[in-house]
Amino acid sequence: MSVVTNFRPRKTGGAAGAPVAGSRLLVDQIGKSFLGPDGGAISAIGSVSLDVAPGEFLAIVGPSGCGKSTLLQVIAGLMMPSSGKVRLGEQDVTGEPAHMVYLFQQYSKSLLPWMTVANNVMFAFNHRLKLSNAAAKSRCRDYLAMVGLADFGNHYPWQLSGGMQQRVAIARALAAEPQVLLMDEPFSSVDALTRLDLHSLILDLWGQKRFTAVLVTHDVDEAIFLADRVAVLTHRPATISEVIETKLPRPRHSIETRESPEFLALRHRLLKYLLARNQDGAHA
Amino acid sequence: MTQAVWDPGARSLPRLRVSRWRDTRATGVLLVLALLALWEASARFGIVQSTNWPPFSTVMVTLVAGLGDGELMPLILSTLWRMARAYAIGCALGVTVGFAIALSRPMRQLLLPTIELLRPIPIPAIIPPLIFLLGLGDALRIFAVAFACFFPVVLNTFAGVRSVEPVYHQVARTFGVPRMTALRRVVFPASLPFILAGLRTSLGIAFVVTIIAEMIVGNEGLGNYLVTMQFAMKTSEMYAGIILLTAIAYLLNRLFIVWEAHAIRWARLAEAMGGEPR
Amino acid sequence: MPSGRDRATAVVLGIALPLAGLVALEIASRNGWANPTFLPPPTAILATFWGIIASGSFIGPLAQTLLLLFTGYGIGCVAAIVLGILMGSSRPVFNLFEPLTELLRPLPKPALLPALILFLGLGARMEITIVALGCFFPVLINTIQGVRAVEPTMINTARTFGHGTMAIWRRILLPASAPYILAGMRISLGLGLILVVTAEMIAGSGGLGDSILSAQRTFLVKESYAWLVVLALLGLLLTWLFTWVERRLAFWNAPQAQ
Repeated sequence: MSVVTNFRPRKTGGAAGAPVAGSRLLVDQIGKSFLGPDGGAISAIGSVSLDVAPGEFLAIVGPSGCGKSTLLQVIAGLMMPSSGKVRLGEQDVTGEPAHMVYLFQQYSKSLLPWMTVANNVMFAFNHRLKLSNAAAKSRCRDYLAMVGLADFGNHYPWQLSGGMQQRVAIARALAAEPQVLLMDEPFSSVDALTRLDLHSLILDLWGQKRFTAVLVTHDVDEAIFLADRVAVLTHRPATISEVIETKLPRPRHSIETRESPEFLALRHRLLKYLLARNQDGAHA
Repeated sequence: MTQAVWDPGARSLPRLRVSRWRDTRATGVLLVLALLALWEASARFGIVQSTNWPPFSTVMVTLVAGLGDGELMPLILSTLWRMARAYAIGCALGVTVGFAIALSRPMRQLLLPTIELLRPIPIPAIIPPLIFLLGLGDALRIFAVAFACFFPVVLNTFAGVRSVEPVYHQVARTFGVPRMTALRRVVFPASLPFILAGLRTSLGIAFVVTIIAEMIVGNEGLGNYLVTMQFAMKTSEMYAGIILLTAIAYLLNRLFIVWEAHAIRWARLAEAMGGEPR
Repeated sequence: MPSGRDRATAVVLGIALPLAGLVALEIASRNGWANPTFLPPPTAILATFWGIIASGSFIGPLAQTLLLLFTGYGIGCVAAIVLGILMGSSRPVFNLFEPLTELLRPLPKPALLPALILFLGLGARMEITIVALGCFFPVLINTIQGVRAVEPTMINTARTFGHGTMAIWRRILLPASAPYILAGMRISLGLGLILVVTAEMIAGSGGLGDSILSAQRTFLVKESYAWLVVLALLGLLLTWLFTWVERRLAFWNAPQAQ
């Protein structure tokens, strides 16, 4: 299956087609703790620092329950950190930043069921840009076309399959034209083939729009395949134990890249590292 | 408790027909018809004292006649109009206050105790004292009905807004949707199932309390009609009124359910197809 | 985990509104902004209320209302639970009675008052009957729902161990459907109180409903408000009592039936 061009984007000019200008995303010693059931503090994140260049694709891997989602939500401004700060460009993140969009793990729940697919996508930008009805609809159609769902605008999210719902969520996220797209295990609950499709889709869109992408996943293959760099998160209290550059050539191909010796070597190295950490690092 | 349709050990033929017959409400319908026949017979043959016990057929004739000759329709409209105004007021207030206490902790601390304090008051009890303040007319009756309607709506709205999926809130936030827009386009639709459930309960309450109010004060509406007919010993008319009230109550509920199903069809279907898709 | 200060704020805010309301009414009434004949100051109402309590004149009507309420409530609930269990556990029984109950359920029970008065007069029998009829349906519906919600495997397991029907009722069906039944009984209690008060107002033969309406009819303004306070307190007390009983009966149930 050739690859990157499964979802051929419509060549459009103007706002819907142009790549977004990028800023540097700086995560500076973020820590996050919660109140435990016994009143004591549970430290989910110990200290995490990341420096993400504009337009870079960064993956964060770690075992389940190690605080990956928490970290991402702190970066997204959906949660306040207990210590440290996040900076996007010149601005500190103290709430939901305007140019950052979070792609939810529970994508089917993140699509609003009382709205059609089209309305869901328009929800991402309608309040910000005062577009006319026609302009808004056209923009919406462009983004749906990018994910291959141009004809599904009038459907309801619950009428679509899981993979299609995730594509709507992606279209919606991109319709907001973010500088940074944060993805929280977005492909973990679709079947393997759909996942490969979505990988290609994300890479394609990312190649086009050049937003900064931060992906959180437990799937090492996915991380290596998609990203420029892979950061490894430990168990809680979570810290970054290693950051590896994938240095794999782009564009990447679903099958060939995954079979390349470089890929396999990286995979071997990462898995070994993670499994070893699992043995001696796991608490509870 | 399922009956085996076919008992392989039995010597007789499969009791297919009998089982299916049992599974319909046929027996129940027969029971109702039998009771109606009993009513008719006992009245016609004087088994029960005849003045208070007109035959069912006579009651139905009276009912149809009353509807036809314009005696009952104005009463129906009078009651329904009274109820509608009170229902609208009670529900509007209920939804507004429900949102207020759900979204603001100080509001909740301020208002919820008072609401919980006023809720157990038996609604007929507030009517006599308020006669002094509101007179014997619609103002009093509408106030009483609106008062009764308020509580199911406010509590259901409160519960509904609070039970909105956190993900929905986060979606609004990550796209930078301003608060008012988020309330209108996310929180309100998301809590609609609960709100509508409260509105449906309130509808039934509104109808009952309207009847009660009409029975206790004033001389308008179907409630008053019932009491008047009882007083005048016009039993056919009285029973006709009871049947009429039952029919109206049933219709109101049915219509609401149909409308509700349409208004939140996304909720039913989303649930049916929903959860995490595989 | 609310701090001491948070709880104090909550209590203060909670009392603030009723208190402010009463103070406002007091001022309005005493200054003549609201006609004191029609809206006496709360302190005067309270004084009258206290008079009713102290003189013991509340005991007769209260006792009558409570007696009639609980008798009707008891009859209605027991009948509803029994029929509900039968209907909930047996398809044939359900099919037999469901059309009848569905026909009678939408009937607004106060509408039966005139008919019952014709048959049973204005006395206790009529009032008990209307309360029983009114309390019957919510409990019936909820009991059927509750019994149906019981896992069939529970019942079948008991059957395989040779338990008889009565034992299954007592030890499985009733406890498992208790939350539903109690939810229905809570609704019925409120409804029963409304019905008994309405019946007393219409019949005029004693009880708290009669007291409050008579006070209004004889233009004893303060008394009518005072009796309202009595009824409000009664409503509150019954609600709290029910919650208390419910907590002690269904303590093993965490999730509540909606």
